[in-house]
Formats: sequence, structure tokens, C-alpha cells
Amino acid sequence: MPAEEMGKVTDRMRFVFAVSSLIFLAVLAISPFKDYRREWKQYKRSYLRFAQGRPDTKRLTADYSPDIDQIWLPGMNVVDRCTTCHQGITQASLTDKSVPQPFRAHPPIPHNVRDWGCTICHRGQGPATEVAEAHESTLAWEQPVLPTHFIQASCGTCHQYDLPQTPQLARGRQLLAELNCQGCHKLQGIERPAMLGPDLSSIGTKVSREWIYKWLKEPRTIVDKDGNVTVDGYETEEEPRMPKFRLTETELRALTAYLSAQKAKPFTPYKISSAVVAAWSKNPELISQGELRFRQMFCSTCHSLAVTRAGETKLIGGDIGPELTKVGSKINPDWLVGWLRDPEAYLPHTRMPRYGWSDEDLYKVTQYITTKLVDSDLLSDVPKLDPPTEQEIQLGRRLFTEKGCASCHVIEGLNPQKDFGPDLSALGGKNASELEFGTAKIPHNLLSYIQAKLQDPASVNPAARMPQYNWNQADLDAVTTALLSMKGAPATSALQNLVVPRKEASFHPTGSFAELYERYKCYTCHKFNGYGGDLAPDLTYEGSRAQRQWLVDFLKSPQTLRPTLILRMPQLNMSDKDAATLADYLSMVMQHPRVNPATIETKQFTPSMATLGKQLYEVKYQCQSCHTIGGTGGYVGPNLNNAGGWLTPAWIEAWLKNPQALVPDSIEPRRNFTDEEIKALTAYLMTLRAGIKPQKVALNTGALASGQGAGR
Amino acid sequence: MRIRNLAMAAFGFMALCSVSGCRKHAETPKADPLLAAYDSEADWNDSTKMIPLSYQQGQGKRVFYQYCVWCHADATPAGPSNRSNLTPVPPLLNDGATLNAESDEYMQNIITLGGSAMGKSAMMPPYGRTLSAEEIRAVIAFTRSIAQPPYQPPGRPGSQYSAK
Repeated sequence: MPAEEMGKVTDRMRFVFAVSSLIFLAVLAISPFKDYRREWKQYKRSYLRFAQGRPDTKRLTADYSPDIDQIWLPGMNVVDRCTTCHQGITQASLTDKSVPQPFRAHPPIPHNVRDWGCTICHRGQGPATEVAEAHESTLAWEQPVLPTHFIQASCGTCHQYDLPQTPQLARGRQLLAELNCQGCHKLQGIERPAMLGPDLSSIGTKVSREWIYKWLKEPRTIVDKDGNVTVDGYETEEEPRMPKFRLTETELRALTAYLSAQKAKPFTPYKISSAVVAAWSKNPELISQGELRFRQMFCSTCHSLAVTRAGETKLIGGDIGPELTKVGSKINPDWLVGWLRDPEAYLPHTRMPRYGWSDEDLYKVTQYITTKLVDSDLLSDVPKLDPPTEQEIQLGRRLFTEKGCASCHVIEGLNPQKDFGPDLSALGGKNASELEFGTAKIPHNLLSYIQAKLQDPASVNPAARMPQYNWNQADLDAVTTALLSMKGAPATSALQNLVVPRKEASFHPTGSFAELYERYKCYTCHKFNGYGGDLAPDLTYEGSRAQRQWLVDFLKSPQTLRPTLILRMPQLNMSDKDAATLADYLSMVMQHPRVNPATIETKQFTPSMATLGKQLYEVKYQCQSCHTIGGTGGYVGPNLNNAGGWLTPAWIEAWLKNPQALVPDSIEPRRNFTDEEIKALTAYLMTLRAGIKPQKVALNTGALASGQGAGR
Repeated sequence: MRIRNLAMAAFGFMALCSVSGCRKHAETPKADPLLAAYDSEADWNDSTKMIPLSYQQGQGKRVFYQYCVWCHADATPAGPSNRSNLTPVPPLLNDGATLNAESDEYMQNIITLGGSAMGKSAMMPPYGRTLSAEEIRAVIAFTRSIAQPPYQPPGRPGSQYSAK
């Protein structure tokens, strides 16, 4: 370019300058347009139009602003902009299903949305301002919104004590504990109990090597091609506690060799008196008498048997102890006699009570079990197993720890591997990038991962040591919910102040009561001060409720107060002295602080009060809708035929005033009785007496099959 | 040369802007996971049909199966029902033919105050001192959700309006 032309503005340059200015102007104009078109702003305007079409426009737009709305809770790390689009979330008039999303109000729940924000429960990304980024997982943000079906997991993150409002979460936690997941994994809020699977230190004295082979190969569970789960050929809804391990033939042979050699506590067979054997062994009634005793002692409260009625086979009975349909083909008969006489001698942590046996009963019942509860085909598919070789035993011993058997089962002198499975106590808060998906074709998020792993552990990791469970969909979802709730210690936010701890229960009786309490395992079914099972009534206030003499009679010969129950107090055959010791302790110690039976004189109740009470019972309040007296009335509450011989007047009065103050989950409605009515009803109930007769139990299985229920 | 470069840069910039401006925002809407049910109940007349329940209806289901099921259903968690023991026979909870005609207010009253206060059988006890008003509302919501024939809420101003 010549020097004189430098700095000279030509027309051409002017033209180019003008064009490029225009282009830049156009480009800049896109920016406000893009801003106007932003997703959340469209929702804002759309809400305004929507509100104008409603009759209560003024209220709906009272706190409307065209900007981003957010709930900011600094103490809890919550910055939720969800209300920018979900603008009607707290508007009571927008709850109806016809209101389109995202404007619909939140359905009523115990927490206020404004106080808690959204992401604490629903997950997702609070600060996001685009629909996809807020709800789904993206490369940068990894917490997708939790489907409502699993929302109870969020309740469980803070409420570590079970809430009645979250049954799915409670079921999941219960399954995790029942299936012994804590044997291999660390779980939040679920402690390792003293015993998980049975102690196997002396398993060789109890069962044969062939039976162990069968059990390890298919732990009772058989899944047919339609996915129906059967246990010993009977359909069940319960997941067996022993899962299926994928073992090779060599591993099976080694483990069975090792286990069948475990005889830490050899036993000397108990000799049943020869007079009893001579008297009964030829008696054609032996087996049916044994079955009758088996029923009378209510073994079925804890153990189930398969019963076939109308072509349908069902397991009937409790699930505290193992199912016994084919147990006669499983155990060594000599071992059975020893076990029944003293279960703790074989298994120190057993929940089975030590019954008082006569030789006659023991002979009849064991003969019944080993003759009738059998299946000659049980071990027919097990290959012939030779006596174990030293090499097999050594391999079995190694496999017992390596396969994780030792994580649930105790064998004396063998230590389990520490932290066998991964720590799951913070699994619920993990990001997808922290999980291993392998080649599984599933969506890469936490929810899909948990469900895939539970359904088939090998699907996400072919080398997984985790055994195979067979879940039904509801249980799978419940366990998923419980695992999602475990987000570890909330260290960084005020959430840790919100965590509601699990209630610790303790009951440490002493003296001669404690011995009997251990012997009869009262806590397997009953609760004492919050400790124990919930199959049978809570006995924390039993001393306020029941008269001492009634307790003695009941312990000697238990009768149910609720005729529809099939799970009943077993006949423990206790001595008079044992029954008296237990009754004394219950009446003196297990009292409600405000219900002292000694404070009410029975003499104050006059016949005229009782007459008034009878009228109130039958006409005004019609208590017979739920309670039975003299053969008529309902089945919901306990039978009151013997109320006067059973309950203390102090308890009846306190109960009529407020049943839930004594038993919080009682379904008896709290009525508005006057003091005079309470006295009259108490006087009437105290006149009701019936002699205690020994329990008659029909041999007919029909009585057992009418249903299942327990507790109050 | 320089001019052409300049023009090309401008065009490139504009193209970039327009591409980013046109990037699709919303993809095809997926099923809203928030609409999935909190709980569900099998239709009493057809156990293969599941009825989705909201949180409130789910709480009503819990209260029902603890307190009411014994007399207002034919099958209970503990086996046989007490319903056949009672005269007059209490309605089944899903009996829409009987219960759909009753207003929420009436239902609230009969549960709270009992049958005798409402001129019905005294066999229905009052639950107002045992259950909270909220729990009773939840039970009614559950009743409505499982009613056969289905329950139609009475016309309310507002339900005819929609977003469009």
C-alpha cells in the first residue's frame, strides 16, 4: 500500500465497517432475546397466565416476582430454586390433580416445604435453573430426583428410629437385619447381633455330610422357570435367611467335608427310660399322641409346617425358628433328644426355651418328628460322598473364611475376615461415578445400581462374592429404600442436629427371675421395657394389669384370650415354683408408675354399680361389638369371660380412662366416660369370672389354617 | 486480505452465536417421577389392579389397617373378620354405593363422634380422642381412593379451570 494512501478512509472501508457493525448489533440482540426465552422465565410467565384464569388470582400472585425464587437454608446447605417453576407449591387451592405441573401444590405432609426446601427429600440439584439439570443426572451433577416410590428413604436419613408413616423403609431395614446383611457389610443404624447364622462348631453332630451338600447347593430355595420361589417345594413369600452361594462341585465337597468334621461339643446320647419305651414303642397311638403333644405345646408359634388343604399347600406357623416339615430327614435322632432337653448346651445364643420334659412326652414328640416330618426323597439328588479326606477338610476350612461363611457363622477357633463386604453405611449418598457398573446395560445412577446388584450381584461385577437372593418386587424396593436412606454421618451441615437416634432399649433383670427369664426365653416373644420380641403382649406393665394368681395359673397352663390366634404361648411345663417366681416378679416389678393395684379396694364395688355397668356395656356403649362375654360378641378385643379373675380393678379404671396411655398402639378407642361410668363398668367387669380349664386342642389342622396373627 | 479476514471472523462469531442460541432446551418430556405413587393398594374387587395412593391416602391406609379393618373389611391381617358378628352389618370401606353419597364432613363426624352421636349404631365407637383430625382425614382420603364405584368429588369452583 502506497504511503500517501495510509489513513485515508475509502468508501469501501466505510461499507465494510457499516456491515460489520450491523452484524455485531444483530449478534448482541440475540443475547436479550435468549435471556427472555430462558426456560424458567417461560414458566414464570406461564404461571401468571394460569393464575389469571383462576378465581383466586390475587392470592396466587401475592408473592409473585419475575425473578428466580429460592429457598435458602444456610445451616442445612440448602439452596433450592425449585420454587422458581413450582410456584404453587404452598397454595392450598392448587392441590387438585387437574392443576397442571409444575404449578400443583405439594400434597399434605408433616413438614413445611418452606422450612425444609425440596432437595433434602427429593434430591436433584437445587441451584439448577433448567428442568433437565434440576431433575436428571448430568455429567457435572449426579443426584437425579428420587422417584416418589422410594421417597421414604429420605425420611430414614434423619429419622433413624422407625416411624409408623414409613412402612416400606421399616420393612427394608427389617429385611437387612433379618437376612444378616450386617454379617459382611457395615450398615448405618443396624448393629451386629450376638448371633447371625447358627453356630456351626458342632454341626457334624447334628446333620450328615449329604444334607449339608444339599443345603449349600440349594438352600431350600428353588426358583422355577416362572420365577416362583418355593422352599422345600412349598411356595413362600418369605426370603430364606440363608442365600444361595454359587459354589463349584469341588468347593461343595470341600465345605461339606470341613463342616461334617466339626464336632467341638460331642454329646452323650440321652437314654429315655426303658419303661417308657417299652410301654409306648408298640402302641399304635404313639405317633398321633406325639403329634397331639407337639400341637398342645404350641411348637407352631415359632416353627411352621406345610399343610395341604383343598389342594393348596401352605406353610402354617411362626417364623422365629426353622420350618420343620422335613426335619426328620435332616437331623440325627439322638441329637434331637439332646437338643429338646437343653437347647443352650448345643447353641449358646438360641432363642428356643428349655421346656420341662417328661420322658414320656420326649419320647412321643421325638418319635412323631422322626417318623412323620420326613421326606425319603430329600437327599436323593445328592451324589455319593465318601468319608472326608484331610485335603478336602483343609480346603473347606480356607473356603469357609474366603467365601464369607465365617462372616455370619461361628466356628470355634476360626476368625472371620475383617470388613468382608464393602461398607454400605453411606451408600445412599454416593454419586454414579463412585459406582462400578461393569458391562451391565442399566442406567448409570445409584437407584438402578442398587437394584441390579441386589437382584443379581454378578451382573455389575462378575467376580462378586455376594450370594444370590430371590426377592419379590416389594421386598426389593423396600431394601433399596433402606439402603438409599443410609447417607452416613451428616458431617457438613446442620442435618446432624436433626438426626433422630434409634431408641436404645435395656432390660437387665437379676436374681432367680433372670435365670428363668433366660431359661424360658420370655424375650423371644414378649417385650420388657422396650426390649424383646413383638409377637406377644408387652409385659412391661403386666404387674399392674394382671392379678398374681391369674399369672400363676396362666404360666402353668396358658390359654389364649383371643380365639382367632394360631400363634399362642407355648405350654412350657413349668414347675409350681418357677411359675410362682415369675408371677411374683411380674406383679412386684413390672408395674406402671401410676397404676398401683394396691390402691383400689374391691369392696367398694356394689351390686347396683355392677348392674349399671352391665347396662352401659350392653346398651349405651355396646362393647360387645368387639369383646366376647359368655359366648356372644366380637373377636377384636380380648375375651372378657374371666375379666374379674384376670385384670386388676386399678388397671381397668386406668384403661377405661385412656388405653393409649398404657399401651400406646392399642386400637381400643379412648372414650369420654364419666368417673361414675368408669366405676360402674369396673364393678361389672370384676363380677365376670370363669374357672380355668385345661386347654383342649383339636388335632384337626383346619383350626390352624384359619389364618395367622399374633400379639394384641 | 485483512478485510476479508475480519468479515469471516464476524460471520464465524455470528454462526457460533446462532448455533448456541438454537440449541434445543427441552427434550421430549419424560414421565414425571414425582407423580409416581407413594404407596398403593390392590383393588378389593380385582386384586390384579393396583390403585396408586398419595402420601395422605397412604397414611389413611396405615390407620385403616390398624384400627378399622377388623369390622370394615371381610379379610383382616389376623384372619377372619369381625364384620359378620355385627348387626347392623358395617359397610365395607370400598362400598362406593353407600359411602360415596356421604360428604367428607359427615364421614369426619361419624368417625370422630361415633355411630350413636350420628343416629347410627352405637357399635361404631368414637375415635376422636384416639386418632388425630389429620389421621381421620387421611382415612377418608383412603376410602375415597378405593371406592367402587369410583368416588367423584362434588363440583368445586376452580376444578373447571386449567392452565390453557
